[in-house]
Amino acid sequence: MRTLKRNLLAVPILVWIGLLVGVPMIFVVVLSFLSRDNLGNIIYQFTLDNYRRVVDPIYLRVFWNSLLLALLTALITLVVGYPVAYITANLSPTRRALSLGLIMLPFWISSLLRTYGWMILLGNAGLINNVLMALKLIDKPLPMMYKFGTSLVGTAYMLMPFMIVAVFNSVDKLDRSLLEASYDLGASRWKTFFQITIPLTLPGIAGGFTLVFIPALGLYFVSDLLGGGNTVFLGNLIHTMATRGRNRPLAAAFSLGMIALALLVLSLYWKVSKDKTGEGLFQ
Amino acid sequence: MKEKTNRLGTFYLSLFFVILYLPVLSVILYSFNASSSTAQWTGWTLDWYRQLFSDRVIAQSFRVSIVVAVLTSLLSAVLGTFTAVVSQWVTARMKTAIQGMMILPLIVPEVALGVSLLFFFNALGLPFGTLTLVLSHSLFCVPYVYIMVRLRLQEIDKSIIESALDLGASTLQMVRTIILPLVAPSILTAALLCLAMSLDDVIISTYMSGPRSTTLPVHIFSMMRVGVTPKVNALCTLILMGTFFIIGLSQLVTKNRRFAK
Repeated sequence: MRTLKRNLLAVPILVWIGLLVGVPMIFVVVLSFLSRDNLGNIIYQFTLDNYRRVVDPIYLRVFWNSLLLALLTALITLVVGYPVAYITANLSPTRRALSLGLIMLPFWISSLLRTYGWMILLGNAGLINNVLMALKLIDKPLPMMYKFGTSLVGTAYMLMPFMIVAVFNSVDKLDRSLLEASYDLGASRWKTFFQITIPLTLPGIAGGFTLVFIPALGLYFVSDLLGGGNTVFLGNLIHTMATRGRNRPLAAAFSLGMIALALLVLSLYWKVSKDKTGEGLFQ
Repeated sequence: MKEKTNRLGTFYLSLFFVILYLPVLSVILYSFNASSSTAQWTGWTLDWYRQLFSDRVIAQSFRVSIVVAVLTSLLSAVLGTFTAVVSQWVTARMKTAIQGMMILPLIVPEVALGVSLLFFFNALGLPFGTLTLVLSHSLFCVPYVYIMVRLRLQEIDKSIIESALDLGASTLQMVRTIILPLVAPSILTAALLCLAMSLDDVIISTYMSGPRSTTLPVHIFSMMRVGVTPKVNALCTLILMGTFFIIGLSQLVTKNRRFAK
């Protein structure tokens, strides 16, 4: 009886999440099986058409684009961010605090500003082209905007701090005596790094990968501003279908496809890190 | 050997930070450029800032954003702290359930979350505007408050709580006089983070804005789609200064409190 009473306290929280996440998700599932008329009004008639279109080769291409963008983003942030986290963890206390502060500061800076910064750097009349032309290294501007690579750079830049913080937390917990034991037993620095450090920081890598991969699927404003819509990603497609495209059932079906991709990555994370609730991701 | 790797490490770190902050610094720099194109630097000016202050659309969306951000962080601070405190009392199974539910809004991609809320509020016939914006923003803010407060709660010595209860304090009294003061700094930091996240959100806000309640980021996004203009630079720079001012202020508050002890 007493435990029941204590659990009653959790009711407001359950209601809140249920109303704002649970019920809307049921709406999405139901909507994905409905049709619409030419004006975009929903017709309450069961259909599998939306799912047929999701697996249509043209739209599968969109899934592939998003998957590629998210995977490459995670890979780039890992390769660039791992050394940053590793070096920072080994700095003296003052410099370490400074470095951590500089890593976390972008969390407070508007994501639109950070995307816009790349438009200024990479544009045809942008800073990089200006400098290269002034140095007479090139005589006409290098076209760097509105490509797949531009979206990739912007997305990776946006999500870099998540990867670094995740890796840093696990590098910081690393037992240094294990590394010394490895050196004492004659292993080289590289061998120690790949056989001791990497396996021991795997939970951090998995966490960072998840934290970067999932948002990378949906950051449509970055690919819109930097990619110029030349490559269509899932986020852009869902956004267009839900708003101007007036095809909500299709947007619903694609949203579920996106959630399925996110869950797939999350289940991999659960396997690797054995973090049951996934709460470890956000600490 | 060690010396060499240290120097290489410092070099790598410095290079990384230069690239990390280069885009931000160039936005600030070009907000003072007299020319309207980034192609050339024609001298310093404050004209773009002047233009901002006479733009009524920007002023209107700024007001919407501030109201939404303040209400969101208040609501999230209360709900998040409540959840964190309650999760200390419930059964282990319920605690796992709460943990799982708290990360739910963070793992569903934001576009999918925004679209689902759009369908839902639309079906309910709720007017899009401040209410829908605050409700949807609290969704990704509450989990952060919950996590930050819970981390602080774990550090609290359990014996203090027990002795308070032994000495006859009711649970409510104990929460008010012992737990809340101890977690207050965490709540403050989390609330500021909520403020920043709400002020910065583009994706969910796009779906939740009403005809006369566009938030500032949604408006800035539509300005940016047109291309690079110094006015956008000036606006972004001002927002950045505002954010840093708030962070600085909060640092000052928490530091002073520490000294007061």
